[in-house]
Amino acid sequence: MAKPRELRRRIKSVQSTRKITKTMELVATSKLKRAQDRVVAARPYAAAMAGVIGDLYAPELAERFPLLRQPGGAGGAGGVRHVALVVITSNRGLAGAFNANLIREGRRRIEQLESEGATVDLHLIGKKGITYFKFAKRPIASQRVDIGDKPTAAHAADVVNPLMAQFEAGAVDAVEVVFPQFKSAVSTPPTTLRILPIAPPRAAEGGRGRQRAVNYILKPSAEAILEQLLPLYVRNQLYRALVETVAAFYGSQRTAMKSATDNAGEMLDILQRTYNRARQTQITQELAEIVGGAEALKG
Amino acid sequence: MHVTVVSPERAVFDGAADAVVAPAYDGQVGVLPRHAPFLTLLGMGVLQVRQGSTSSRFQVSGGFLQVVGGGDAVRIVADRVEVS
Repeated sequence: MAKPRELRRRIKSVQSTRKITKTMELVATSKLKRAQDRVVAARPYAAAMAGVIGDLYAPELAERFPLLRQPGGAGGAGGVRHVALVVITSNRGLAGAFNANLIREGRRRIEQLESEGATVDLHLIGKKGITYFKFAKRPIASQRVDIGDKPTAAHAADVVNPLMAQFEAGAVDAVEVVFPQFKSAVSTPPTTLRILPIAPPRAAEGGRGRQRAVNYILKPSAEAILEQLLPLYVRNQLYRALVETVAAFYGSQRTAMKSATDNAGEMLDILQRTYNRARQTQITQELAEIVGGAEALKG
Repeated sequence: MHVTVVSPERAVFDGAADAVVAPAYDGQVGVLPRHAPFLTLLGMGVLQVRQGSTSSRFQVSGGFLQVVGGGDAVRIVADRVEVS
């Protein structure tokens, strides 16, 4: 059995670890709250944008806009030859399997695309993903770590504009984003979303009953409006991915830190019990020795 | 009528108003209650939302203005919005 003194030292160390994880849990909880608010606040814009584009979209317009052009003709799955894949991870760890899951999803998608014969450009956001893919010796097309807890529409524009230009020039046939979808604080499945070419958002509204339900006065023409709004729509999709990543990160971190705190607590219970027993054993033994010694003196 | 002003990050304004003056792509546009359904692109400039004698001003650029619901609701969805 371990010595009481060693046990006491371990108890101290586990106690301070628990204090740290507990604090991180609380910090993550409060940051999660704020990140979640930001996810919710971004919804009206996205909904309004999707609504208008859905209203204006007509299949015959699609051919005129490069951003709507499906690769290899109408909805062909085999036409994609060159894909830009944006993988979003966090800059920091201690969030359980959060980054590992994202990286796995990214790798799965890369393999899938490459087995279909496509070339994949890898664009990375977040330190964890960069570290991994560097370690895996995969060429990285672009990387950035400067997007922190508060992504802005400008960050999204920075990332997306060059990709949109490449897409319009025909250098890439599709742009996809791997990010954790923020379903709730405990459910953040890694998801791959194709942001280019744009899939008209009508499908999400359900039913064809509302085709141009309102006869709008349009100024300028539908085409001119679409031309302006489509890039904004694409940018917004990336913005949402960024915001959801932050929220999902703190969600995972809170869960991870909560279980770490719980585990530390359990460990402390066991250590404390072991320590008590060791201490008792020691006392009993000392007593036995003293009594033994006294008996011997009596002669 | 009900006016909402949203930017990509958040809803900036949500409330009732008597009149909206917005910088459309080709000049100022005024919207009063019972306006016909309308959709226009925004340019860059100052957006005013008037309610009685008070008026809120926003610096906006990009995006669109939409009149929906029989002229009872105005949605201003701008790429950039700053409260001024």
